[in-house]
Amino acid sequence: MKLDCKHIWRELSNYLEGDISDEVRREIEAHVAQCRHCAALLDSTHNILVLVADERRMELPVGFNTRLRQRLEKEMAISGPQ
Amino acid sequence: MGNGLPAMVGPGALKKEKEARLIEDVLAGRHEQFHELIAPYRRGVYLTAYDILQVAADAEEVAQEAFLKAFRALRSFRRESQFSTWLFRIAINEARMRLRRRREVPLETAFPGEDEDGDYTPLMLADWREIPSEALLREETRRLVQESIAQLPEKYREVLTLRDVVGKNIAETSEILGTTTGNTKARLLRARLMLRDIFAERTRRKPRQKQPGRVAP
Repeated sequence: MKLDCKHIWRELSNYLEGDISDEVRREIEAHVAQCRHCAALLDSTHNILVLVADERRMELPVGFNTRLRQRLEKEMAISGPQ
Repeated sequence: MGNGLPAMVGPGALKKEKEARLIEDVLAGRHEQFHELIAPYRRGVYLTAYDILQVAADAEEVAQEAFLKAFRALRSFRRESQFSTWLFRIAINEARMRLRRRREVPLETAFPGEDEDGDYTPLMLADWREIPSEALLREETRRLVQESIAQLPEKYREVLTLRDVVGKNIAETSEILGTTTGNTKARLLRARLMLRDIFAERTRRKPRQKQPGRVAP
């Protein structure tokens, strides 16, 4: 089976997850080698996900943990889990 | 490139047994153990709230509320799901409620190219792929990413945040959102393609370099 562009778009997310059969992976890679649009789509989607993952390193607001602890301690002083 | 997604960064989840013991401790009255129980999830809960609400102060309040609720309701936590799944579900619900109350953001924003049942057609931007890698280290890029996430309709923002920002796997993301894995994958695909298009559009609109005292075109 030869995959067309629409099939590639549908499988793109699973491809990036590695959640795909070897057969479909080979089909996608064969298609992408021939189709510059799909190659660009795959690369740029991968790149944006790398940027998004970078957000994980975003700093918590200064004092976040202290304020959270204080708020929880206030609650703990009054009562426990119901 | 297949497994190119970055692995989860951060302290990682506590071992399940340790978590179970901490929960027992809290329920037995050693409340201070709750701080240790939630320590691995503070950042993830905050990031989730932040991505949904886009306002730091609101995200902090919602995160605090979520942890407080989890503390109060800890006895009702059923052990068949993971503690973190339960906790993130509380956080998502808190953030959703805050969003509803705020009423600034329409519940479901109509999005060009969006058709729930059909395929999402990504923009053809063959020349775009070099931009993010060269821009990777720039603070500006981070802001653009954040603004692009903010532009996603709510349900796509949620799934993308849980999977791609916080780093939950598909199964846990589905459990938190109360949906099937098939549905989560479909939403995730759409969210990622939309995000790419939004980001590309924003990047193209941006002047490449800020010039002091630049004259408006």
